[in-house]
Amino acid sequence: MPNKKKPSSLSRRQFIKGVSTGVAGTIATTKLARALPIEKLEKAAPPEGHLPLELKVNGKPYQLYVEPQTTLVEVLRNELQLTGTKVSCNHGECGACTVLLDGKAVYSCHILALDAQGKSVTTIEGLLNGEELHPIQKAFIKKDGYQCGFCTPGQIMSTQALLLKNPNPTKEEILDGLSGNLCRCGAYPKIIESVEEAAKVK
Amino acid sequence: MKPFVYHQPKSIEEASVLSAKNWEEAVLFAGGTDVLGLLKDGIEEPKEVINLKGLEGLDQIDFTKGKELRIGALVKIAQIAEHPAIKQSFPALAQAAAQTASPQLRNMGTIGGNICQRPRCWYFRGDFHCLRKGGDECFAVEGENKYHCVIGGGPCYIVHPSDLTVVLQALGAKVTIVWKGGQKTVPTSQFFVLPEEDLYRENILKPGEIVTHIHIPVPDSKMKSGYLKFKERDVWDFAVVSVAASVRIANGRIESGRIVFGGVAPKPWEEETLNRELKGLPLKDADLQKLKALALKEAEPLEQNAYKIPLARNLMLSLLKELMPIIPN
Amino acid sequence: MAENKIIKSKFFFEEEEIEQLAEVSERKYRPWPNNDKLKVVGKGITRLDGYDKVSGSATYAFDVILPRMTFAKTLRCPHPHARIKSIDTSKAEKIKGVLGIITYLNAPKIKWYGNSFLFDPHLRYEGDEVACVAAVSEAIAEQALKAIKVEYELLPFVVDARKALKKDAPKLHKEGNVVRGKPSKYNRGDLQNGLKEADVVIEQTFNTQVEIHNPTEPHGSVVNWNGDHLTIWDSTQGVFRVRSQVAAALGLPESNVRVIKKYMGGGFGSKLEAGKYTVMAALLAKTIGRPVRIALDRREMNLAVGNRPDSFQTLKGAVTKDGRLTALYLKSIGSAGAYPAGTGCAWPLRSMYDCPNVSVEEYGVYINAGRARAFRAPGHVQGFFALEQLIDMLAEKVNMDPLEFRLQNYAHEEPNWHIPYTSKLLKQAYLVGAKSIGWEQRNKVAGSQSGPIKTGIGMSSQIWWGGGGPPAYANLKLNRDGSVQIIAGSQDLGTGTYTILAQVASEVLDIPVEKIEVILGDTDTAPYCGSSGGSTTAASVTPAVRDAAEQMMDKLYSAAMAQFDLPKNKIKYAKGKFSTVEPKPRVLTIGQLARKMGERVLETVGRREANPKGYAINSFGAQFAEVAVDTNTGKIKVQKIVAAYDIGRVLNRLTIDNQIHGGIIQGLGFALFEDRILDRNTGKMLNANFHDYKVPTIKDTPEIEIHIVSETDNRLSNTGVKGVGEPAMIPTPAAVANAVYNAIGKRITSLPLTPDKILMALQS
Repeated sequence: MPNKKKPSSLSRRQFIKGVSTGVAGTIATTKLARALPIEKLEKAAPPEGHLPLELKVNGKPYQLYVEPQTTLVEVLRNELQLTGTKVSCNHGECGACTVLLDGKAVYSCHILALDAQGKSVTTIEGLLNGEELHPIQKAFIKKDGYQCGFCTPGQIMSTQALLLKNPNPTKEEILDGLSGNLCRCGAYPKIIESVEEAAKVK
Repeated sequence: MKPFVYHQPKSIEEASVLSAKNWEEAVLFAGGTDVLGLLKDGIEEPKEVINLKGLEGLDQIDFTKGKELRIGALVKIAQIAEHPAIKQSFPALAQAAAQTASPQLRNMGTIGGNICQRPRCWYFRGDFHCLRKGGDECFAVEGENKYHCVIGGGPCYIVHPSDLTVVLQALGAKVTIVWKGGQKTVPTSQFFVLPEEDLYRENILKPGEIVTHIHIPVPDSKMKSGYLKFKERDVWDFAVVSVAASVRIANGRIESGRIVFGGVAPKPWEEETLNRELKGLPLKDADLQKLKALALKEAEPLEQNAYKIPLARNLMLSLLKELMPIIPN
Repeated sequence: MAENKIIKSKFFFEEEEIEQLAEVSERKYRPWPNNDKLKVVGKGITRLDGYDKVSGSATYAFDVILPRMTFAKTLRCPHPHARIKSIDTSKAEKIKGVLGIITYLNAPKIKWYGNSFLFDPHLRYEGDEVACVAAVSEAIAEQALKAIKVEYELLPFVVDARKALKKDAPKLHKEGNVVRGKPSKYNRGDLQNGLKEADVVIEQTFNTQVEIHNPTEPHGSVVNWNGDHLTIWDSTQGVFRVRSQVAAALGLPESNVRVIKKYMGGGFGSKLEAGKYTVMAALLAKTIGRPVRIALDRREMNLAVGNRPDSFQTLKGAVTKDGRLTALYLKSIGSAGAYPAGTGCAWPLRSMYDCPNVSVEEYGVYINAGRARAFRAPGHVQGFFALEQLIDMLAEKVNMDPLEFRLQNYAHEEPNWHIPYTSKLLKQAYLVGAKSIGWEQRNKVAGSQSGPIKTGIGMSSQIWWGGGGPPAYANLKLNRDGSVQIIAGSQDLGTGTYTILAQVASEVLDIPVEKIEVILGDTDTAPYCGSSGGSTTAASVTPAVRDAAEQMMDKLYSAAMAQFDLPKNKIKYAKGKFSTVEPKPRVLTIGQLARKMGERVLETVGRREANPKGYAINSFGAQFAEVAVDTNTGKIKVQKIVAAYDIGRVLNRLTIDNQIHGGIIQGLGFALFEDRILDRNTGKMLNANFHDYKVPTIKDTPEIEIHIVSETDNRLSNTGVKGVGEPAMIPTPAAVANAVYNAIGKRITSLPLTPDKILMALQS
């Protein structure tokens, strides 16, 4: 497991050390509601009841303080303002919040932010290269793999997880791979075509 | 979610000490797929959450040929579903894992959490002060009980929701439980409890006790095992009814076997009489029909769940037919 | 030149016939030829809003972030029927981060649901609003809800419509439990004569369950005040409707309220009206002086923002031995929920077949549960489930093929008003669909296969309105660089409205779709269009866009004539360019021409023309289902659906197919899984989540084949489009139920068709 060497429950000292050797340059450029510049982190005690969280989102390292009950999607949407990730059921029962955690699809609404400690998160925004769409995203446009679009980021992230693991899925494997994402509009036939198209293009 | 104090212990001993209060005080947290649901809905409102993910050595699958398969409690359901050796030698287990929940939940949920998950009864999960939550009424008895148990119930009528436990029991699996200063290994048949034994918990775990490993004996080449799960909707759903079987076949007969049902009782349901009947049973359709009449004979369905009985029997037959070459009448 | 005119406009929106004055265009255009002769319309153009949706940049109401924004959550009644004895918010107010709390004690008395209030101390269902809290975070608002102490007086409740009709049933409202105090009735011909005339009479009851809309985007709004001006980002199907309702509730001039909806994550009818939550958020925002976001959670979505009412239908069908329908009768009971709502389901029986004697009696009933709202083809999905099974039963009784029986009783004119249809190609749909499914391969004797897997084929017809009508307007702006904007007060629900409007303008202006920007869903900038419901959007708005574009072409021609100093017949126009050879070859793009105009933006206003007088306007279709039933488990697998439709002109092949798929899949959800379960003893909902309220997954997708048998309905409008959104769902449950009967020989008369019902039917 990637986080094995690095105990997830870092002491403040360890945390700050990790920060100052690694990613100090990046932190200033991130726009975080609660992510403090490094000097302040050293001095400021964390807000009461908060714990430090260090994770990578779409390739960028972030450090912030969270309450332990904070879910990953709350960090993504509220703190990092990555609103492409949606919340629809908030119980791991629909897939709208799907993101990749170390390359695997998970429900970001149903995982504690602290469980992403030291891990790498990819959201729908992370698939783009600047303004350039990822081939999967293009495939969803080409094949009309959506209607209202609210579940679409989740569908696309599940497609990404599937194709990372299995670049040439069969129809059955596509159905399995996307089965954890509801589409209330019922765009499934076109979603299936979109995944097939994405697999072909990749 | 109500705020809680968060611990991420580094040793089982530490985890044991932290959790050795009562259930209301501290809750163990592995993949979190079940616990988070309970916390969000306020079904459990512990003061402390003890995240076990930092524990070393519990995320391994160890396969010793001819001996046993040992699965650490933190192994993810998806790893079990995809593990080549498990697919090869324990197909029933791989099938059960692959049919659990949804892909994302399988990436998040652990086997330890799966066997320790709380019931899905909609009264228990809902805004009802039911028996299992310390109330004085099981709302299912006179209420909406389509998904409740048909056997082993009373005074509470939950079913155990786990897919894996049904298979584990059919395969003769054991569970290792560790606490500060001790450990024990018990067969799954002794791990789960009925409401009449403990109304508030589904297994024998006491506060401070932690499931660390599951051990499954490696079957010989004559053993066959399988799992059939019936669900209304193919994804997310827990089993309406499921059945796991492991049978040893020799000389055109079943030498021995175990059949375990899921979705019918508050724990994985195994019937001695049925297993006894399996011994020496010829592989003929007519003989299998006898089994069908025997299965769940003592069942006492509630108003809306009588269908589970024919469903369980039919599933059992379908599974046995899948596992063995049956001679038609 | 013909101008605009105000007329009396009448058309069906959902189940209601609305009559209103509307300004219409009187300009007549040459009907478009069939799609194969058109350049853009009918083609599978990818969506204009595709980039936003796949990149995550589409901003839903749920995603709007404003400076200093706060978060509101609602305390809802946990009981099916109660009265507030006392309410104490003092503890909640003290929580750090809590900014404001409103209850019936301190909120203005705003009328809601006719006879109730925004906050009513008389609570009539589990989910009724008790208090609303604004705080600096959603988590703190939720914490505050738990800290509000409410003492309830529990009242007797009833959650079953049939029980609610009994004399001694608990009453929800002063007038009693029947909505509007009496049943709604309809009669034509003489029922008794019709029954007498018949050789066979069948009476059968059918029940359908409550279905919850459950769109993926939760209902919600972000509200922001600037003095006495209110801006609302709302997840809605009707920006103008929300504006009127909210302005009226708050006593504001409509001109001070702006409602914006660019994207919304599904509605299916539940977002056709303003939510209490929007008004509560606005009240809180006013008090605390900060913007408020309110978003419902999934549980609230299941409890409090609408549903398809259940139905308990008793039908009688009478037929002569040669298969002629002589009488149809329906008595239906439907649960309105706690407040007034439509529950009728008689339109299918009244309008599908040529039957001279029809009698209907319908009861809408109050029960202590969430109020019903229009849900994709209200009444029709329920009505057809019953009617189309009855039709199959009658056909079987007189030894006729069910399809032949339907053809024999085909309505050649509208049976209620005896007027012709603008177009009706249902027969073609039947025949194409039957051929495609392999109708002749269905079991001649139902249930005759040996099993354990038994297959069957069944069908259902459908009729819907979907012709739309005025008023609907669109502004078209041509900029100096030749780029075009279309602005309309309509909204895209995910159906592709952005794209089809651009296609229509592109067709007329002969410029690429990429040059056209479509702006919808903003009451401050757009001319009026109706709510997006009733499958009327394409049918109402596309003709207005064509009208605007044609006027723009006229304007551009005039400009070209002035610029070239030539009469019209000496000038040619193609692909965005005016050209002439006289006296020498000259070319002007529309951009160049526009630059010659003094104004920087050329603008036209398009109007929907009037519907033709004396015609009935309906969409028609049929679906054929092939199912496999596992007799060991009772599980139904729907293997294939063939859908054949007469919906006028196809505007976009990609989006129409997608929408039909969606209707079918939602229909399958209703047929197989979805069901609001209320605990009969406590009156509380047991499955208010996406786990226990089961909507279809990708694995439930059958093979779907779509045939559009119509080319256009030129009698209807200048684009010839009829609606398809609702028609796509209507026949699915009935087709599946008939196929199940064909497979197992048992008729399941209550929805959903769950395995337990099938298994128990097979055991009997």
